[in-house]
Amino acid sequence: MADNFFQALENGRKIISSISCEYADIRLSVSESTGISLSKESVESVTSGESVGGSVRILKNGSWGFATFNNLSSLEKYFDSALKAAMMVNAVEKSVVSKSEGIKASFVTPAIRDFDSVSLDEKFELINSYNRMLMSSDKIQTTHAAYRDVNTSYAYLNSEGADLFFDKSYCGISLMSVAKSGNIVQPFHESISGFGGFELVLDKINLAEKVVKTSVDLLSAEPLPGGKYSVILDPKLSGVFIHEAFGHLSEADFVHENPRMKEIMELGRDFGPEILNVYDEGDRPELSGYIPFDDEGVLPASTALITKGVLSGRLHSRETACKMDEELTGNARAIGVMRQPIVRMTNTYIDNGTSTKDEIFDAVDEGIYAVDVIGGQTNLEMFTFTAGYGHIIKNGKSGKMFKDVILSGNVFNTLKNIKMIGNDKEMFGGLGGCGKGGQSPLPVSFGGPHMLVEDVLIGGK
Amino acid sequence: MRNEIFDAVPKNTSWFDAVFVKGKSTPLTFKNNRIYSVNESENSGFGVRVNIEGKTGFSFTNDPSGIAGTVKRATASVPYGEIEKFKIPSDTVKTFDPYDEGITSFNPASEIERAGKFIREIESAFPSISVDMSVSSSTGSFRLINSKGVDLEYHESFYSVSASCSYVMKGGVKIDTWESLSDLKPTDYKHLSSLLINRIERSLTIEKLNSGKYPVILPPAATARFIGIIASGLNGQGVWKGVSPLADKIGEKIFNEAFSIIDDPFIPGSPYTAPFDGEGINPVRRHLIKKGVVEGYIVDLKYANKLGIEPTGNAARSYSSLPSPSFNGITMDPGDSSFHDMIKGIDKGIVAEQFIGLGQSNTLNGDFSANLDLAFLVENGEIKGRLKDCMISGNVYDLMKSDIKTSREMERKGSYLLPYIYLDGVSFTS
Repeated sequence: MADNFFQALENGRKIISSISCEYADIRLSVSESTGISLSKESVESVTSGESVGGSVRILKNGSWGFATFNNLSSLEKYFDSALKAAMMVNAVEKSVVSKSEGIKASFVTPAIRDFDSVSLDEKFELINSYNRMLMSSDKIQTTHAAYRDVNTSYAYLNSEGADLFFDKSYCGISLMSVAKSGNIVQPFHESISGFGGFELVLDKINLAEKVVKTSVDLLSAEPLPGGKYSVILDPKLSGVFIHEAFGHLSEADFVHENPRMKEIMELGRDFGPEILNVYDEGDRPELSGYIPFDDEGVLPASTALITKGVLSGRLHSRETACKMDEELTGNARAIGVMRQPIVRMTNTYIDNGTSTKDEIFDAVDEGIYAVDVIGGQTNLEMFTFTAGYGHIIKNGKSGKMFKDVILSGNVFNTLKNIKMIGNDKEMFGGLGGCGKGGQSPLPVSFGGPHMLVEDVLIGGK
Repeated sequence: MRNEIFDAVPKNTSWFDAVFVKGKSTPLTFKNNRIYSVNESENSGFGVRVNIEGKTGFSFTNDPSGIAGTVKRATASVPYGEIEKFKIPSDTVKTFDPYDEGITSFNPASEIERAGKFIREIESAFPSISVDMSVSSSTGSFRLINSKGVDLEYHESFYSVSASCSYVMKGGVKIDTWESLSDLKPTDYKHLSSLLINRIERSLTIEKLNSGKYPVILPPAATARFIGIIASGLNGQGVWKGVSPLADKIGEKIFNEAFSIIDDPFIPGSPYTAPFDGEGINPVRRHLIKKGVVEGYIVDLKYANKLGIEPTGNAARSYSSLPSPSFNGITMDPGDSSFHDMIKGIDKGIVAEQFIGLGQSNTLNGDFSANLDLAFLVENGEIKGRLKDCMISGNVYDLMKSDIKTSREMERKGSYLLPYIYLDGVSFTS
């Protein structure tokens, strides 16, 4: 498989240097993956697989042609078909791209224990030990423990002379316990992932222990009554909040051809209190949203999205940067070589403020401490996200546990209602990821410190 | 290919089965009211299950030259499998191809023109609107080979259109709404533009409704979201694991008489049909819930065996995954009322079209809590403007027990053919 790949790459270099168009790129990848999935006492699957793929994207006369394939031996044919596809359109409004320097570089994931050198036995035993912990209460009805690793060789070439290679290793685990009592079935789930070797998933028995304990504790928790609350978000929820509620708005493809969105997302506009600073940083190798280069061959940047409460930047692809006459940020990403890159986040976070966690709690007479996260969704104006659970706060003290803590609101009002930001930022990523435009899951990470938000709508009976 | 697999499996193999899929598609993407890109896509893949002395291993590849190597990898994972006692079929038949010759008439240039007209019609109603569209044609084949002598292939065709509109009102209020359609061959979709235009027009007026309990009407696409929560409770996997509220409930009346769920592999016009499932079982149309009574589950061979029931032809399988139970198509028995009658009978209520975060609650229990992305007030028997910044919540199982009505009109959305549903006393927070 590797021979094919390097032959195709050599062939691609020749073709791309001779093509006549505004812009073209080729992406090729080969990958090998292992997956183990356990459920209570049964083995659901132990899988290994390999994937090859490639795509050619050509911008000609202002239109894009895109061809994808899994046969690497006839690249010329797919070049022709992408070119024909682009020329089929007589574009009235033309696509344009920002140019950058054609970078030549090679990257490799630093791994302490390359998972190629770890036996299937050892991988199986590790996830099996976590699975045993997930079952460790007699209230557990079922579990799901999954391990996954992927080794990918990814090559990127473009008509600017970029010649990039990334030998990437990605792995993670996903742990779930489902507790049951009478008619109540209560799941709880955690996942971690990242770029690196087998060391990333070792010694996570504490995580499994937290999962089983939380699912059992939640069995006896009552649902939180609906209403408006002052809410302290824990670092993980702060992260999901900023990813869902604001991050997607900062993706320029939602803005660049929409005059009314442009007005709303005008740089310099007040978005929140002065203590609010938000960044997206693709160049952080230790985080799950790391990219050494984006899927248009652009190096990632640290982009300040909100500075002192004011909108200060946004995320771009070559096309949106060119259309809006702004700098490239390296945020064009695809979930695989057979999909077109679109504007996506990488590692997005709310930066530390100055308050301590204690000071934030002391400021709340009555409210909710919302902890952990099940999911989040936005339509760029309203958002809904579900906390893992919550605790009632009375006079600064965290009390009784509640489940079904589902927060919802208007993005802009909620950002303005941020009252305090802590100094204890943490980052999170998992085996899942972000979804947009039918491309899911894309590895990302998100995070922030503890944060107090007022007037948050919580749905309930 | 058959011989290649036979040559590669070890002598002591109890059985094997393999799928080989191939596909070609031409998706056209429209962004912000214009054609954005023309794509040509090709893919194929091979996945194989090998069973030795009861234990199953699995592997896959999409490298056309990698078949023998894949069988070897599958064999290497056999020792980790658990003992499985089901038998693969030998009597699979192919009665049809979910393929329509009309797919060959797909012409990208004329599709671009047709979509352009569609977009301009919406734009003429709302000049600042942003419309994204995708129009796609694909053909492919699915081949199943097993050691019991099955070697069958069917051909598929698929045409789909989706259009998504985003309109920002002065002051920043955003209206997002979409429509889609799928078929075996290129088909007319002009009527979708007026649906979208009317919905947006209605959304321009914002209404108020106090928190409380109200009747809610779900149009077919919204019905699908709610029914999906109960449908997942009928999945044999969740039943066997004891996490489905419908486990051990066969023969019991759990829901209102008006409530039913049917697994329908042959919904008319649907491109989501197949003559046999991923393991070679021929599917049939079956009531899983009839007049509120639970009658059956959906299973693949593995969960049929674990639950001690007959296979149902519900094994979904891509080349890169093991089979797992999944609905062929979901439909319900139609009711007596019309959508119009339902509206007429309401003093104060809600038509709920789109949700944000519907699936993020504890759906195993049937709980939901969702922001109303797009919903309309019903007042004195008439649909009014939009309800905004509000949520509905409750439990789908409880709601379907209570006084529900289903409409006689049915609409197909993808693999769902569903009525309007009238729900009583849904919690609304604003």
